[in-house]
Amino acid sequence: MIEVLAALQPLVLGAVLIWSARVKLFSRRAAAAANRSALVRLLGQDRALPAYRVLGGVELTLGALLLAPPALRLEAIAATGLAVGFLAYLTYARRVAPTSSCGCLSAQPIPVSGRSLARAGLLVAAGVLAGLAAGGWWTALAARPLAGAAVLLAELALVVALSPELDAAWLLPLRRLRAWLTRPLRGGSGVPLLAAVQQIQLSDAYRRVAPLLRSDVREHWDDGDGRFVGHAAHYQGRPVTAVFAVPLADPEPDAVRVAVVDDATGETLLSLAGTPRPAGPRLTVVPA
Amino acid sequence: MNQSLNRRRLLATAALGGLVGATGLGSLAPEAAFAAEAVTVEPGAPDPNFAEGRISKVSGNMLLVTGSDTVLHSIRITNGTSIWKLHPTTFDQVAVGDGLYARGVRLPDGTLAADSVWVNIVNLHAHIASVGRNMLHLDHKGQRIVAHVVPGRSAAVYNGTPAVSDMSLLRVGRHVQVLGAWHPDTNEISIATVYAAA
Repeated sequence: MIEVLAALQPLVLGAVLIWSARVKLFSRRAAAAANRSALVRLLGQDRALPAYRVLGGVELTLGALLLAPPALRLEAIAATGLAVGFLAYLTYARRVAPTSSCGCLSAQPIPVSGRSLARAGLLVAAGVLAGLAAGGWWTALAARPLAGAAVLLAELALVVALSPELDAAWLLPLRRLRAWLTRPLRGGSGVPLLAAVQQIQLSDAYRRVAPLLRSDVREHWDDGDGRFVGHAAHYQGRPVTAVFAVPLADPEPDAVRVAVVDDATGETLLSLAGTPRPAGPRLTVVPA
Repeated sequence: MNQSLNRRRLLATAALGGLVGATGLGSLAPEAAFAAEAVTVEPGAPDPNFAEGRISKVSGNMLLVTGSDTVLHSIRITNGTSIWKLHPTTFDQVAVGDGLYARGVRLPDGTLAADSVWVNIVNLHAHIASVGRNMLHLDHKGQRIVAHVVPGRSAAVYNGTPAVSDMSLLRVGRHVQVLGAWHPDTNEISIATVYAAA
């Protein structure tokens, strides 16, 4: 079994390296990916993109050599060296530039995580195993096709699982499916306070007293079929309360009324109702 | 309690009662209202009427706050101060260790007489990584944030339409903006409002 496993490692390594090189060499967003990576910190702004491209070239060459016959031990050693380099680079990036992007398998900005490090570790192990292989992957696969395919699939699945870049392709759809099946956010009834506040802020009454208001919402309560929202305000040099009345049944801003009440005496200083819309044809403008 | 009920009845009656015009009491034009408050802040200078930071001490109606730039602020809570902590609440809900944003008037002795205080308020742009029962796991610049839906408090705004309590239109993988209350020294928040496309 271990021979099959070892013999198949060049195939896995080659596939991962070529996938990785594809982003670095052919993606239109390669420049952006290079600029977000820790290469900027390591080599400087000017040299980050050339280094990223050169790395892509090395990956492509080595990946092709690993996939194509003949199977040489030197290729496995080179791949192990490259994987150790990745591991060292990612550890450095995580320590020195934790906000930088990995830039590994996709051009998306993905920070270096434990999963990226585990994937690099997996590649190191694969490289070491490949060094132990006696023959090429094609002979091993031809000799034991079923076991070989199973090993290959399992290992590639492990690489995918350890790649945050590929989550959008499999993990998010799975989570979406689970949410669709279990509906964890169902429920939630009643009119939130924000609905009343939005209605107030669109109203004519609010527009007229807004310059008087000093505070955010101080208190709110429901009474009968109305909701009341109180703000601290200042009017004619004295502290007052501006209280808005919002009918729960009517979502129109015109339905909002406001009163300004003296805090000390309880006297109503001002009371305004929304002006009804003028009759006749009009252009309805809905606030976005 | 009784006093507060009476006060609310008075306010409700005033709001629903007959109209009292503004003309007899002076102009309500915005110019008149703003005329008293000249804007004295230099462009680029810090706004003296704003403070932010973590509460290091609560004594009486004063809050001692350490700003994120390590500047100390003392903030006076008055009878007219609005206090937000996920929802409009009272001064006794404010604790040492809470973060806050405060807006008010700077007094000559340097204290800020607060008009409004928002305790632990956060405003995040994030992606929904996964959802659980009354819970969103948010991916915020690569960091995981657990956002709790508080039944009866949390609101959702879809496509800019009026706020509703129904969170069920939120989708895994989508972008959201979340206003909420941070749970101090954790990566968890309670959701006040989540803005999303549906």
